[in-house]
Amino acid sequence: MKKLLRYIKPYIKECILSPLFKMLEALLDLAVPMIIAQLIDVGLAGGGDTGYIIKMCCLLIGLGLVGLGFSVTAQYFAAKASVSFVARVRQALFSHIQTLTYTEIDTLGTSSLITRMTSDANQVQNGTNLTLRLIMRSPFVVFGAMIMAFTIDKASGGIFAASIGVLSVIVFGIMLSCVPLYKKVQSRLDGVLEITKENLTGARVIRAFCLENEETEEFSRRNNALTKMQEFTGRISALMNPLTYIVVNLAIVWLIHTDAIKVNTGLLTQGAVVALYNYMSQILVELVKLASLIISITKAVACGNRIQAVLEIEPSTVAPEKTIGEKSGEYAVEFNNVYLRYKNAAEDSLSAIDFKVKHGETVGIIGGTGSGKTSLVNMIAGFYRTREGSVLIDGIDVKNYSDEELIDKVGIVPQKAVLFGGTIRENMRWGNENADDNAIMNAVEAAQAADVVKAKGGLDAVIEQGGRNLSGGQRQRLTIARALVKNPEILILDDSASALDFATDASLRKAINEKCNDTTVFIVSQRTASVMGADKILVLDDGEAVGAGTHSQLMENCAVYREIYDSQFKKEGE
Amino acid sequence: MSKKVSAGTLKQVFRHIKRYRLLLIISIVLATLSVAGTLYAPILIGDAIDMIIGVNDVDFEGVAKLLVETGVIALGVAVVQWLMNTVNNKITFHIVRNIRDEAFKKIEILPLSYIDSHPHGDTVSRVIADADQFADGLLMGFTQLFTGVVTILGTLAFMLSINWKIALVVVVLTPLSLFVAKFISEKTYGFFSTQSKIRGEQTAFINEMIENQKVVKAFGREDENIEKFAQINARLEKSSLKATFFSSLVNPTTRFVNSVVYAFVALTGAFAVMGTAFTAGAAFTVGSLSCLLSYANQYTKPFNEISGVITELQNAFACAARLFELIEEEPQIPDKENATVLTDVEGSVKLENVCFSYNKQKKLIENLNLNVKPGQRVAIVGPTGCGKTTLINLLMRFYDVDSGSVSVDNSDIRDITRDSLRHGFGMVLQETWIREGTVKENIAIGKSDATDEEIIAAAKAAHAHSFIKRLPKGYDTPVGESTGGLSQGQKQLLCISRLMLCNPSMLILDEATSSIDTRTEIRIQKAFLKLMQGRTTFIVAHRLSTIREADVILVMRDGSVIEQGNHEELLSKKGFYYELYNSQFDKQ
Repeated sequence: MKKLLRYIKPYIKECILSPLFKMLEALLDLAVPMIIAQLIDVGLAGGGDTGYIIKMCCLLIGLGLVGLGFSVTAQYFAAKASVSFVARVRQALFSHIQTLTYTEIDTLGTSSLITRMTSDANQVQNGTNLTLRLIMRSPFVVFGAMIMAFTIDKASGGIFAASIGVLSVIVFGIMLSCVPLYKKVQSRLDGVLEITKENLTGARVIRAFCLENEETEEFSRRNNALTKMQEFTGRISALMNPLTYIVVNLAIVWLIHTDAIKVNTGLLTQGAVVALYNYMSQILVELVKLASLIISITKAVACGNRIQAVLEIEPSTVAPEKTIGEKSGEYAVEFNNVYLRYKNAAEDSLSAIDFKVKHGETVGIIGGTGSGKTSLVNMIAGFYRTREGSVLIDGIDVKNYSDEELIDKVGIVPQKAVLFGGTIRENMRWGNENADDNAIMNAVEAAQAADVVKAKGGLDAVIEQGGRNLSGGQRQRLTIARALVKNPEILILDDSASALDFATDASLRKAINEKCNDTTVFIVSQRTASVMGADKILVLDDGEAVGAGTHSQLMENCAVYREIYDSQFKKEGE
Repeated sequence: MSKKVSAGTLKQVFRHIKRYRLLLIISIVLATLSVAGTLYAPILIGDAIDMIIGVNDVDFEGVAKLLVETGVIALGVAVVQWLMNTVNNKITFHIVRNIRDEAFKKIEILPLSYIDSHPHGDTVSRVIADADQFADGLLMGFTQLFTGVVTILGTLAFMLSINWKIALVVVVLTPLSLFVAKFISEKTYGFFSTQSKIRGEQTAFINEMIENQKVVKAFGREDENIEKFAQINARLEKSSLKATFFSSLVNPTTRFVNSVVYAFVALTGAFAVMGTAFTAGAAFTVGSLSCLLSYANQYTKPFNEISGVITELQNAFACAARLFELIEEEPQIPDKENATVLTDVEGSVKLENVCFSYNKQKKLIENLNLNVKPGQRVAIVGPTGCGKTTLINLLMRFYDVDSGSVSVDNSDIRDITRDSLRHGFGMVLQETWIREGTVKENIAIGKSDATDEEIIAAAKAAHAHSFIKRLPKGYDTPVGESTGGLSQGQKQLLCISRLMLCNPSMLILDEATSSIDTRTEIRIQKAFLKLMQGRTTFIVAHRLSTIREADVILVMRDGSVIEQGNHEELLSKKGFYYELYNSQFDKQ
């Protein structure tokens, strides 16, 4: 939670002013029992003084009015500080997630990230708001009442001090035991969120397997577990009010018992006893507020810690601000004996990859499922770093590139065709913020997606979140277009034509060849037809390069390649 | 309550509360007991104070007796309060649990068109965040509303018994505080629902971007996203500030009204004391005044709380309304009452004059006719976007036809139960979907009682065994959409393993092998061949090698079937299929 506090710094003024105004209001509250004591001891003394009584009552109303002013001001500052603070926290969290690399994204669960940005952040906001409003007021009233008690009578003040001590133990004890419990509640909530999300994204599969009932049961189970935890936590925190009530009332009993003796001997007046009693009652009222405040604070702190945990995840690699090193023109891409091992993996996913690609060449990468094709191209884009060896682009190690320059150079069409909510034009501009319609349409045509754009009604047509209103093939072509809009020096097509029919796939490759003459193109595919025309084909098997060369070379000397080819082209004589 | 809280929402909430009416009654009884105790204690103290009048004028025996009574009552009140809180906790958390359950059940029977067209993040936010807010509000309502109301009534009774004139002053003045509270909460309800709406929007955005963070990174769109997020965030900040500030006005204003009431009680009380002093009666003493003042405080405090509760409830009801909106969403057409259960599927499938479109303005499938005999293998080919996937949506009854009919084994699929229809089909979709869980759980998705041997056999049949073995924990390795770690092709192998395990009568393979290399595919194909024997199969694939062996090939274009026949027949026709087929080799 501590680190989050820096986001509240800009609102430090509000954070000071809000409790301050609350304190002023509390000060006025503290004056009330004294005024009543005066009213009894002076106003009612000797048959009564009507003028004095009216004066005192007007004073009470006046104090109320001033208190209202203070309070409203305090509420505004508290609302402002807490809302803005949490808005900044959310922004920081979102921005931070944007800096994480593929390695962290792989290990972080999205559901839990989403709860942290939404319900956790809300809890922090409520907690902060309440804290600012009450943090000074309640302790101030409690200790203020104690001090007032001391000024009236030392022994009575002692009773106040003792009971406040006991009350603190109760309040803090309950608070401390609740923090870990709230954490558990929140993690069970994550479980409920996860299954809800799954049943939306996997609706088709779940229904195809008729799992609706099982899923409903599982949901009920998790929901129940959450409820049980909430109830348990509730029972503990519900102890706060009754315990404080007992302590305060026993203190009152003790107070009146000792004061009775003092009044009897003339050391105290009846009015003073009433005042002392009133102060003790005020303590109870404030404690009830303090208790609810503390529950909110513990919740907020637990939630804040969950947010902080994400903020504390450092990106495993940080690109330099500016590219380091001199470019050399010979090769566009070089792999020098590259090894890749994913985090927490036992084995290398790529080993001893070594090849060089000249500018403008087309490279085909082919191999079985899980052979490391995607891993290899992801390394060109710098998404993962080598365990050993180096990947160079234009003679500079990928890790020495600034993010900006690397992204500018490399255009990648990922396997999973994802588009985002917005118009087609907006989606296309992900490639290049400044692309005009002409440039976009050129790319769209090259990607064989002109008919998609036309069918949807032009570049202004709206794509729903996740591209749900497009078919898989339509999405794929648009994601290719998106990369082409960028006009990258290196274009990577990571099995991006899998949902396309052969005719479309063929015209796509043709168009890319024509349009991107000096672009270095990597085509990852499982179809020999897609890579056969490449200048160089790399054959991967289980993370190792088992062959490299042109189609005809490989047909002669690479058994794996031949096997793949045969599996796809043996159309005659089967 | 503000008139903006719809009657429907209230009715729904009450429907859920009704189940707990026994607990509710217990809670009210406990609240009454607790309030009675809380109110009686000041009377005892007031009496005690009256026995401590001055020097040598203290009745020690009487004081001691009263103090013991106070102690006992305090103890009783504490126990009752704790019980009451526990009961309230139970009621609230159970109600929210039930509502969540209901919402989830609705999600399971929503038509796919709803799921396809509503942002998932928004729905998730309803089930999670809105339900949470509702619970908070409701709990506050239960704990404070009852005690509040009972306290008001109780205090009133006590005050009336002490001095009815002063009590009247209090009664006349307090509605002022209610009026103020009502005015403010009416104004704030609007702010709260705007806040809720923007929150939903933000959740949807977060959902979309965080789930596809890799694409975002690949395009270096972090800054744009941060900016877009900042825009939504700024709007949320603004509306949150309004909602938070205006709702927080309730407390100070009612507190002010209360201090006015307090002052009037002090004034009239003091005069009453003087009055009795003059008339020499003993009815109204300083002790009574102290007691009455403490009541005035206690009487107005619940008004404070109730008004606070009302704003909290406003917020809660705004959230509940969003939840109930989901719950009341029109479900898919339920199975007919007399729907038959499809058993021993032979596998004949017939489409007659089927018309369907997602968007009523844009025609898609029109007058589609198709007759598939049991055991036939149907390959559906055609350019992208020609309606192949749509056909699957109709076969599985994810969507219902607009007109015409789809029948399996000569009964219209609308006359058989969805479950039995879907059990009849085994499906592997282009978009693989892996759930959070272990590899084993993922394979056994269609047959939860499968033994380890069966699971491994299925994985072997789908050629997934070798890669699964190499995973860190083998079949117990956790996998899922967000945990990552599996390639697209590996996911697809898992999906195929699922089918191998549950052995359905008919198969639907939508580009099932698009991410699998052809070598593996050939192996899978062999397994499929075995699986397909005697089973009606629909294959949507672009890879012609997959389709070659089909009995019937449907060539689709623009939503209708333009050619139909087997490979040789279609080739000799030299039509659209011929063109498609040859384009595969135009590089050779």
